[in-house]
Amino acid sequence: MSVDRDFPGVTDRVTQDNIDAYAELSGDFNPLHVDPEAAAASEFGGIIAHGPVALHSFFRSATAWLGTAALPPGSKVSVVYRAPTRPGDEVTCELRELAELDDGRAALQADCVNQDGTTVVSVTAELAPLGA
Amino acid sequence: MSGDPPVLSNVVYDDLVVDRRMGPFEETVSADVAAGLAAEIGRPHPVDEAPPAVFPVLFLKALRRAMGGIPPGSILAKQELEFHRALPVDSAVSIETWIGNKEVKRERPFVTIEFDIRDAGGARVVTGRKVIIWPTGPGEEAPE
Repeated sequence: MSVDRDFPGVTDRVTQDNIDAYAELSGDFNPLHVDPEAAAASEFGGIIAHGPVALHSFFRSATAWLGTAALPPGSKVSVVYRAPTRPGDEVTCELRELAELDDGRAALQADCVNQDGTTVVSVTAELAPLGA
Repeated sequence: MSGDPPVLSNVVYDDLVVDRRMGPFEETVSADVAAGLAAEIGRPHPVDEAPPAVFPVLFLKALRRAMGGIPPGSILAKQELEFHRALPVDSAVSIETWIGNKEVKRERPFVTIEFDIRDAGGARVVTGRKVIIWPTGPGEEAPE
């Protein structure tokens, strides 16, 4: 199967507001995400988003592609966080490869890429068909 | 749950014990939390089932409770999720977690933390793991 052009490449604009919202939802107030002074003194030199904030465009793309709110049972997602995402970044999910497995699941590889073309997150996933 | 756990943890890498189980921790996936993670973060979109972004949040909530806070300065390196069963919103879940592995690579301490999320009936909903680069500096005091 060739890369499916119908896979929606959702873009998330990352802001300190949605980093703060994620901290409230998750309870993760790691200073790297919410404390500008501590983050500035870190190896990153400033605030970075929680990893799943950078991953979010993949989840939004995958659920939009499937037309459902949840990933179907039998799905698997494997994520490598490659580079920090910062407030002001725009992260877009780009599909790289797509194939159909013998059991009907879609095997795909996608990258979440920022506005500079840097891959911040790489995803390998097996998405089960709906109703499986 | 009687009160929130501390914000930041002081657990150091050397004190982590591989295979020691922690939990189960009880959480409820509210409609508000599910909606807050179903679309752009911070722009709620009502849904009937927990969207996939709920589960890394549950991992974080369990990590905070297991470690007495989030390790300050920790960095997420990898994450894996296996989806076993859909979870309706407003469902209670229990989360068990344990250290799957710890190793120093390129002079950095990597810790694999496993998660097992089950519904109120005990059926598996999501399992998975995250690999964290554990902080090496001194612990920080949680803010007031």
